[in-house]
Amino acid sequence: MTRLLDLRILFVGGKGGVGKTTIASSLALLAASSGRRVLIVSTDPAHSLADIFDKSIGDQEVSLSKNLWALEIDSDREADRHISTVKQNMKTLVAPKMYAEIDRQLDLARYSPGAVEAAVLERVADLMAAAGTRYDLVIFDTAPTGHTVRLLSLPEIITAWTAGMLNHQDRSKRLGSLLDGLQKNGEESSDSGMMDFLKNDSKNQRNEEISRILQNRRDKFFEARKSLTDPRAAGFLLVLNPERLPILESKKAFDVLSRFQIEICGMVINRILPSDLTGDFLRSRLKQQSHYMEEISREFSGVRSISVPLLERDVYGIGMLENVGQILSTAISSSEIL
Amino acid sequence: MGRWKRWLHLADEFYKAPYRGAIAREKRDQEDLFMLLVFSELMGVPNPASYYTLELQPILLENFHDWHTRMGMEKSPLDNFRCC
Repeated sequence: MTRLLDLRILFVGGKGGVGKTTIASSLALLAASSGRRVLIVSTDPAHSLADIFDKSIGDQEVSLSKNLWALEIDSDREADRHISTVKQNMKTLVAPKMYAEIDRQLDLARYSPGAVEAAVLERVADLMAAAGTRYDLVIFDTAPTGHTVRLLSLPEIITAWTAGMLNHQDRSKRLGSLLDGLQKNGEESSDSGMMDFLKNDSKNQRNEEISRILQNRRDKFFEARKSLTDPRAAGFLLVLNPERLPILESKKAFDVLSRFQIEICGMVINRILPSDLTGDFLRSRLKQQSHYMEEISREFSGVRSISVPLLERDVYGIGMLENVGQILSTAISSSEIL
Repeated sequence: MGRWKRWLHLADEFYKAPYRGAIAREKRDQEDLFMLLVFSELMGVPNPASYYTLELQPILLENFHDWHTRMGMEKSPLDNFRCC
């Protein structure tokens, strides 16, 4: 756990409301205070980074304090940007008479299910590439686990599809040139639309341009995936409370992440009640808590965990986040395997 | 064209002609597989990569016409994918 903040990429996940943003922000401040250049990124459509830092944060990186920057991904804007990039690419790739149909198709794609999520993923991949160059550490304050897991499993599927399509393009081109070699001497290939498309030099060039664009995009996801599955580069921190639903959600996340070979580098058990509470109501809560603490150590044996107590007041502003950072720092150095 | 040259040309044709047909067929099959992959999404099989491969659209539009005529459909069978 001491190496937690030596990673290049840290994902902080868990069920909504367990305190992900608080933990992620405090860790970011802690790492920044040790001299590392840190970027904290919110991918949740309902952002709370700005609220917790009590500063306005937008789609562009803003400086929050020494060595600390933040940004909140605007998923709709990201999707618009992607579609307009594709439209721009298209203008050099198709005949002007096709512009209208292409635009119509792309506008449909913009509002198709999954488009916004896909756009966020592309930005996440871009930002992962910034870890190790512009920043020493990029922390993702992620959306609730279900969304995050989908986000993590996507690159694999995309790699398969894109590679499949590109391979097909290559094969098709190879077969085409083979066919050209077999043409009757001194004769042009037949005039069917397909042959026409292959014979035409400018169209060949166009297809290579398309291949190049898609290959670049695939490479980006491939790199992101590579860092994500490298335990020395990236880690996943699960935040949960000693309560039934966060434990169940964490178990699901744990299973899925393990299946995708993404290492859980630790768990933060957040909002633990102090043991010296009195009164029937609070004693009953405490009894329930100790039951769930046992369940956590049973279910997640072998995972490192740090405990953070329930605080007297809710946390916002850099001062209070630094206090939580200190609690985390102490807990990290004494963290134990469950 | 000299007699020798004509003979060479015929010999060349003799060897190449059967392959030409086979390769053209193979290439067409590849095109059909590609169409199947891409349009399967419109038929209800989700393709999570489609958002990232939108640049393939111009190739599709051009090949789409060849495809639907080859499949025996005079017009585009898809309402949301217009053609001729």
